[in-house]
Amino acid sequence: MAAIQDDLSMNLEAGGVAPDVRPDTPVKDPVQWMKENLFSSVGNALLTGVFVAVLGGLLWWFVGLVFKDSNDWDAVATNIRLLFSFNYPAEQYIRVWFSLGMLLGAVSLTAAFFDINPSMSVRKLGINASGLGATSLIVGVLPATPSGARIVFLIIGALFLAAGVGTLQAVDEPHKKFVSFPTMLLTFGLSVVAFAWLVPIGRNEFANGAVIDEGGFANPSTKIPWTIMMAILVGVYFLARAVKPMLPVKPVQTFLITFWVAGPAFLIFLVLRDPTFDYDRVLKVDIPWAIGFAVVGGAILYWLTKPMLGEIGRLVAVALLGVAVLNWVAAFFGWWSMLQKTRVSFLVLALFALAAPTFAGEKSARVRYVGAWVAVVALGHWLITGINTTSTLDIAAPPFLGGFTISLVIFYYVMLVSFPLGAIMALARTSTLPIFRVMATVYIEFIRGIPLITVLFFFSSMVSLFLPNGMDLSELAAIFIGYTLFSAAYVAENIRGGLQSVRRGQFEASDALGLTTSQRTIFVVLPQALRVSIPNLVGQAIATFKETSLIFIVGAFDFLRVANVSIASQPDYLGQNLVGLLFVSAVYWVFAYSMSRASRSLETKLGVGSR
Amino acid sequence: MTASFTDPNAALSPELAARDDMINCRGVKKWFGDFQALKGVDLTVKDREVMVVLGPSGSGKSTLIRCINRLEVHQEGDITVDGIELTNDLRNIDKIRSEVGMVFQQFNLFPHLTVLDNITLAPIWVRKKARVEAEATARALLERVGIPEQADKFPGQLSGGQQQRVAIARSLAMEPKIMLFDEPTSALDPEMISEVLDVMKGLADSGMTMVVVTHEMGFAREVADRLVFMEEGNVVEINEPGAFFTNPNSDRTKLFLSQIL
Repeated sequence: MAAIQDDLSMNLEAGGVAPDVRPDTPVKDPVQWMKENLFSSVGNALLTGVFVAVLGGLLWWFVGLVFKDSNDWDAVATNIRLLFSFNYPAEQYIRVWFSLGMLLGAVSLTAAFFDINPSMSVRKLGINASGLGATSLIVGVLPATPSGARIVFLIIGALFLAAGVGTLQAVDEPHKKFVSFPTMLLTFGLSVVAFAWLVPIGRNEFANGAVIDEGGFANPSTKIPWTIMMAILVGVYFLARAVKPMLPVKPVQTFLITFWVAGPAFLIFLVLRDPTFDYDRVLKVDIPWAIGFAVVGGAILYWLTKPMLGEIGRLVAVALLGVAVLNWVAAFFGWWSMLQKTRVSFLVLALFALAAPTFAGEKSARVRYVGAWVAVVALGHWLITGINTTSTLDIAAPPFLGGFTISLVIFYYVMLVSFPLGAIMALARTSTLPIFRVMATVYIEFIRGIPLITVLFFFSSMVSLFLPNGMDLSELAAIFIGYTLFSAAYVAENIRGGLQSVRRGQFEASDALGLTTSQRTIFVVLPQALRVSIPNLVGQAIATFKETSLIFIVGAFDFLRVANVSIASQPDYLGQNLVGLLFVSAVYWVFAYSMSRASRSLETKLGVGSR
Repeated sequence: MTASFTDPNAALSPELAARDDMINCRGVKKWFGDFQALKGVDLTVKDREVMVVLGPSGSGKSTLIRCINRLEVHQEGDITVDGIELTNDLRNIDKIRSEVGMVFQQFNLFPHLTVLDNITLAPIWVRKKARVEAEATARALLERVGIPEQADKFPGQLSGGQQQRVAIARSLAMEPKIMLFDEPTSALDPEMISEVLDVMKGLADSGMTMVVVTHEMGFAREVADRLVFMEEGNVVEINEPGAFFTNPNSDRTKLFLSQIL
């Protein structure tokens, strides 16, 4: 913009003629718009009529479904905690709020440090408000709506419609004015808090085995935590914006990405489970092992990343891999005993050693590589210790999580593992080495030919038959493995599509510069392939997220099962499946739609560097 | 008569003849499927020589220089670069590629990296340089090709001429002994050609060994030490620029020149 103005003024100074200013495209008024787009011809008008009739019929039917006489929406209100966190004990609920607070804080930090600030034009805002108001009015008029709700719908509809139309009328050039992201965020936070404190939504909960159903304002155990959550969401955002100029942005961004990848695992195992650490053993066994691996492994890796090390480095890496594999074989046959985490650490060290030549460089690059290793050791040992320590949490049923949380957890872990696995499969399938290519192709085509439900059944019931004596796989772990293997095949195909779109010239330029094959893949080919694959990968992620509801058929108490089975079999809400299903659908839709929107803005953002 | 003007050492000035060989091609043959693209090419490029390869399209010029850094694999004959024989041994290929820079017709910049990252990628990961040092070199190179202010932009935000100059800087960052140019100005708008040619002239003046495939006759006449004319996979004539344009040896060269000049 400034550049154009500079050009303009230079032109004028030089005695030139100022270029004409492009006239504004006039914003059409609604009647004109409808005439041009909905009733432009007889056929068009007919189509519009049919469409409106079908839409109206659907709305009528849907409103009838929601307000059916036999529906008892208290079933959802009373069981809201059961739906989201299953039978997590109420006295430990602070841990759930802590986790949610961490996630919301991370959302705000991410928005602030990655400059994510979607804005909405005032015109769009007005149109959305008017549309919402009009829909609400129509629902209020429909005969299926019960009389109590009718008044509420009519009032809300009138308010929104008036606000929307009023905004469009009062604001000059509404398509040129924008509501900024901070304003929207603040409005959202305040609305949630106001709703929680000022609207008499009633109290519904289970307490001491009895259903409580009274009117009045929300329970303090609901509205106080939500107020704090909103304070975190909004407060962290504004705080982050304030301190951003004083902080180095790159490291914070790296930290945030790490948090999104590893953070949920931390929350699940160390916050929601509350392990009882045996600190004596931690000091005497766990910490020395971790330090040993960090120091000795770090030294080996520092040596292996020396430039031009040659064959000896590869030999050492392969030897390490041999030791790592031998450890697992030994554990399988019981030859010698070893801590589980040392086996894992050996394996990870071998992988780091194999990758070392690719990341070799001068001192700072080598130190960074060793730093990554130390971080992996620290995080890994902490998590493995936490997972293997018994929890103080006293939970009646075996799974410590259920409901919507277990759907999210399965989704998170499946994504976390199947993305890298899928990327490796895709590379293997496009590799020039026939063994890799054939193996990857067989795996991908085999998995893609089988329905997910078969894979899940296989892993939940059959796999334990093939395991050796004494080895046990929990139901959830089996489901997770099956689902991950399934998802990886689809991720691989999506990434392969991206790989094929990378132009030949990119390979040639990398080769001409002397990059090795793995360097070419990591620094040049994969980043471009992944960018192209984003829409498909997000589609795959959304599908995975929704299909987590399939784990219900193999016995897990996920969101769908709680709604459809658990609630409907409570004596107070016998047979209330419909409300549960409607509620579950609404929540799934909100999450899936948000993911889809997020991916669209990600595509636009990444488009900056594209051709 | 025929042998003399396709002799790889033809038309060498005494000064050039005294220098070491940088590139030696002997009897190089190359097939794409059943089609023979190179039919036994003999060529010698001397140290600090600028050799321009001319010829109609499909004559094998690009194939020849792409064989020199193993982007294409030749099936018969020998290629030696700076004393290193080009064989299937990966270590030799890596060594040669780190000594030979290449500039492509389509630039082939990495679109997901900034200009600076494009230039520093190979020095950091192949030459194992410190990032700070690599960035300083990159900025100096951008200064040299005349676009220091574009360092933090993405290739897609630059004009074609600017992109090609970044591509030259990217190759130079590896400190090559030899630069190969594969029709570097063919994909450019006319008004951007000269800015790229100027950079190449500067490079030639600084004593870089260069093999240039181009259709820019002005550049060939002004900068080249020797010209090579190729047709249908054969070297038809090797000559010094003055004689090549005014009194070519072969009839085929005469015909070619009459068509384009």
